[in-house]
Amino acid sequence: MSERRDGVLIHFYRSAAALGFFAALSTPVFLYADAADESQPPSQAAADVDCPVAPVPSHARVPNVHAAEPSARTSFAHEAPAAPGAPYAVARAYRNPVDQEIFGKMAADGVVPTVRAGDAEFLRRVMLDLTGQIPDAAQVKAFLADARPDKRALAIESLLASDAFADRWTMWFGDLVENVRTTSANGIEQAPGRNALHAWVRASIAAGKPYDQMVRELVGATGDSFADGAPNFWVRNLTTMGVTQDNYDNLAAVTGEKFLGMQINCSGCHNGAGHSLNLYVQLKTRMDFWKNAAFFAQTTSTRTLDAATTLNKYVLTDNTTGSYLLNTTTGNRPPRQPATGQPNKVDPAFYLTGEKPAAGKPLRAEYARMLTSHPQFARAAVNYVFKEMFGIGIVDPPDNFDLLLQDPNNLPPGQTAQPSHPALLNRLQATFVAGGYDLRSLLRTLANSEAYQLSARYAPGPWNENWTRYFARRVTRRIPAEPLFDALAAASGVLDTLTVTSASPVTRAMLLPDTTEGGGPSGFLNAFLRGNRDTNLRSGDVSTIQALTLMNDNAVVNRIRSGTAATLVARTLKATQKPDEITDALFLTTLSRYPTAAEKTSAVSYLKTGTTAPLLATKTENLQWALFNKLEFAFY
Amino acid sequence: MSTKKEICEACTLGGKSFPVFGPSFSRRRFFELAGTGIAGSYLANTLAPPRRLEAATSPALKGTARNLIFVFMSGGPSHSDLWDLKEGAWTPAAFAPTTFGGNVRFAQGLMPNISQHLGRITLLRSVLSWAAVHSLAQTWAQQSRNPAGVLGDIAPNIGSVVSLELAAQRRAGDVLPGFIALNATPSKGSGYLPARYAPLVATGLSATGLASVKPNAYGGAAAFAERYGLLQTLDTDRAGAPLGDAPADMTDFYGQAKALVDSPTVNGLFSWTAADYARYGSTSFGGAALVAKQLLAANQGARYIQLTVGGWDNHSNIYAANAGLFSQMKFFDPAIGSLLADLEGAPGAAPDKTLLDETLVVMLGEFGRTVGAPNGQGGRDHFLRTGVALAGGGVTGGRAIGVTDATASKVVDFGWSANRDIRIEDLTCTIYSALGIDYTTVRHDDPIGRGYEYVPFAKDGVYKPVNEVF
Repeated sequence: MSERRDGVLIHFYRSAAALGFFAALSTPVFLYADAADESQPPSQAAADVDCPVAPVPSHARVPNVHAAEPSARTSFAHEAPAAPGAPYAVARAYRNPVDQEIFGKMAADGVVPTVRAGDAEFLRRVMLDLTGQIPDAAQVKAFLADARPDKRALAIESLLASDAFADRWTMWFGDLVENVRTTSANGIEQAPGRNALHAWVRASIAAGKPYDQMVRELVGATGDSFADGAPNFWVRNLTTMGVTQDNYDNLAAVTGEKFLGMQINCSGCHNGAGHSLNLYVQLKTRMDFWKNAAFFAQTTSTRTLDAATTLNKYVLTDNTTGSYLLNTTTGNRPPRQPATGQPNKVDPAFYLTGEKPAAGKPLRAEYARMLTSHPQFARAAVNYVFKEMFGIGIVDPPDNFDLLLQDPNNLPPGQTAQPSHPALLNRLQATFVAGGYDLRSLLRTLANSEAYQLSARYAPGPWNENWTRYFARRVTRRIPAEPLFDALAAASGVLDTLTVTSASPVTRAMLLPDTTEGGGPSGFLNAFLRGNRDTNLRSGDVSTIQALTLMNDNAVVNRIRSGTAATLVARTLKATQKPDEITDALFLTTLSRYPTAAEKTSAVSYLKTGTTAPLLATKTENLQWALFNKLEFAFY
Repeated sequence: MSTKKEICEACTLGGKSFPVFGPSFSRRRFFELAGTGIAGSYLANTLAPPRRLEAATSPALKGTARNLIFVFMSGGPSHSDLWDLKEGAWTPAAFAPTTFGGNVRFAQGLMPNISQHLGRITLLRSVLSWAAVHSLAQTWAQQSRNPAGVLGDIAPNIGSVVSLELAAQRRAGDVLPGFIALNATPSKGSGYLPARYAPLVATGLSATGLASVKPNAYGGAAAFAERYGLLQTLDTDRAGAPLGDAPADMTDFYGQAKALVDSPTVNGLFSWTAADYARYGSTSFGGAALVAKQLLAANQGARYIQLTVGGWDNHSNIYAANAGLFSQMKFFDPAIGSLLADLEGAPGAAPDKTLLDETLVVMLGEFGRTVGAPNGQGGRDHFLRTGVALAGGGVTGGRAIGVTDATASKVVDFGWSANRDIRIEDLTCTIYSALGIDYTTVRHDDPIGRGYEYVPFAKDGVYKPVNEVF
């Protein structure tokens, strides 16, 4: 398939090179135009976006990514009307490190980025990414009408300050640490503890607690698992039926995988030598892993019956004695035995550095300090967050870092560097650390980058799959289960009640404390692969079942009915019977944009076949159904 | 020592290497080459997964079965009452044991319908579970791998592997997904494999079928067709993949979902007549067993059915008249009895075979229950020793493999070539072998690049099929 396309591309490159365009790009500068086809009210002509080089308008300016202009919750109602006209385009030397590196690499390799996303595409994207919600019609209209050149930066600021931001990133952190009611490996009914941890994460995110502090508090937590949130990280990682070393190993493996993005778990069963998976782990031995696990060996978790719930809870305490012993022949790992003549007691030392704990301090607190101060901790974190925003990590998958493959100038023979943009990863890491591990600051930098704001469509010509990891266009992906369900509910106006064990029901899936709750809507959420934070991981994959669900599931068909007063269909028909107004209303609320001219023509002529009021109602229902099933509804 | 076929899709696709970031390939290209779990006519000409043969010697495979029904008895059924009956003062008279296969005792009174098919059933009695924790052992049984192990969270369900492996056999018009789960959601989905190999989960079935495949879910078939037509007109992103792989894949899946909705037979396969429903015991599990038979008999692409049924965790009152095993068998026995009878009465794909000849039915739980006299509450608690029942699919029935002591606590004779306990991994090797799938396969497309073994350590000979069942 690529022969023809490659021919076109080569032609394209040669044309560009002949213009001396790329040759001149010694500094990371690029020119681009907005994709304006779906951003403007229909009265304004859609812009021609064939040419990636556009004139520089006088109002072009660089958004100051650190100029936080405090504003109220997401609301653009106060903003000024749009200035209709030519597409927005700028030329600049980028100040944002994301742009310097991403556009710089493209320029160096002769890859042409697509155009800037239109305002409507941007707004829906940034709201879904930062808050897990789609904009409503009023927000879309106000944003499109806003003429301020920095309106995107202003919108990002208000989203970062919103409650929905805390909900969405609580879901993210809950996924990361796999906070869940019960696990396959321990079967402990932990709903009250799960709720406590969820509340702790929510409060931490809302308050802007530094990410490293959150992790230190989790890893070193003491106290009552039902009263306090943080101890549940330990409880969730218990393995019943095994030996106690299984628990220590699990905690070592999980802290490595989740907080360092490394599969150190391999060396929990065997030495690294001969291991083909990870060059760094090859250098490690099972003893290195045991030493890391030994940091957990002076903590006791005492199971006690909680009178209020009649469930078992756990109370974590740190002791000054206790060792990791090589004395097992059973459990979930191969036998743990010392080498001949060696003691069976393992002294703790950090896997990455060999650092030993300072005397007189709790072992886990020492481990948490070493873990969170190692550069790989911040690298893993920024890479996870980058993936949330850009769809693919700079290192991907983000939990499979090989520390010997990070520096492109210092690689083992024959190896390729893991990061697509090594310098960007370094810079984001440094900025994250310098900025006090602040999630919002990191997201502000990412969201304000022009690279993040590129269109999902490739305007310059035929697309080449090899440009995906250049981020030459937005990586289109399926909206995760919870925001997709919430988008369906919000667009239709028909909310659901989602039940939660040992807590009050919620009305949005993004508020669920884990991915196993929700009651009735669980069928929809499971079809969209929210996973169970245990044996089934969250997935952005697509399937026949998802298509069946969007076409025929009650979660959708009950939301198109004209006979249900709350639906968008019913409310719209109550306000107007005019096909063009119905079309605009449904598009704005469902897809967060106005219809294109062609779409409007199709939809209006379809609605006009509804010659009686009941028939128009049916046609409007069908239009609503079609918009819920448009790829654009479930993908962003 | 290791023989083995290794699959590396990422490295061999198209024989290309991509210069910038190392091996990379279009996910769509992957699907085009890898076949599909739910192809229908759209991808009927797809190729089998490319395979890299590292050594020529794959193990001998039985290939006696086309289909598999995995009856998962969640909760841990009492092996010493069901598949390895040990009689004592506690045994209710209503068990009315019979003897078959020479000296194999069976509670005919408890399971009168299943007893009709003992000639097709082989009981495995030297089986040992790995864990006596429900959730852990349940997941372990469904993915043949320790959930707490290194690949535990990304491992696919056995049914997803089967769906992937048998995808190459799909014909034009095979509209059903390869893997369908009925009555309850399995513990495990497709793991790291693409979602097209995930089970189509159908719970809460009724006589009128499955809402999601009905053309008349809202407004009738004509309304559905009109809506779908409008969608095609409005959604210009469905042509030419302007947004990349994932939405383009979704477009294909819409086509396949539409084929399911439009099929004149599919919804009928998920519904039933009152008479059939009554024969299967008039319960949700009976209805699910009936649907399982209908799906396989239709021969439209469904190859692996998981039927999950709970209620076996009988810590108390296991022998009470309207509780415990009697209560369970009121629905389980007629459902399985009728399932086996109907499979035997239906023609297979091959002219000289019945559907039962071509369908391996596996009945198992996550572990067994304590043996001898019941506990203080008249029940039985969690126990690692357990049993498994197999029927059809090339299994030689009318016998038991393995002999246990007087209480079904310890093994006296393992009864198979390995001369050790049968583990779930061995049973999975047996299932794969019966279906003609190389159980020593190692895939190299897992996200961490470790290599995914269909059955861990099988390539090293640690686990192997119980060929004695055939």
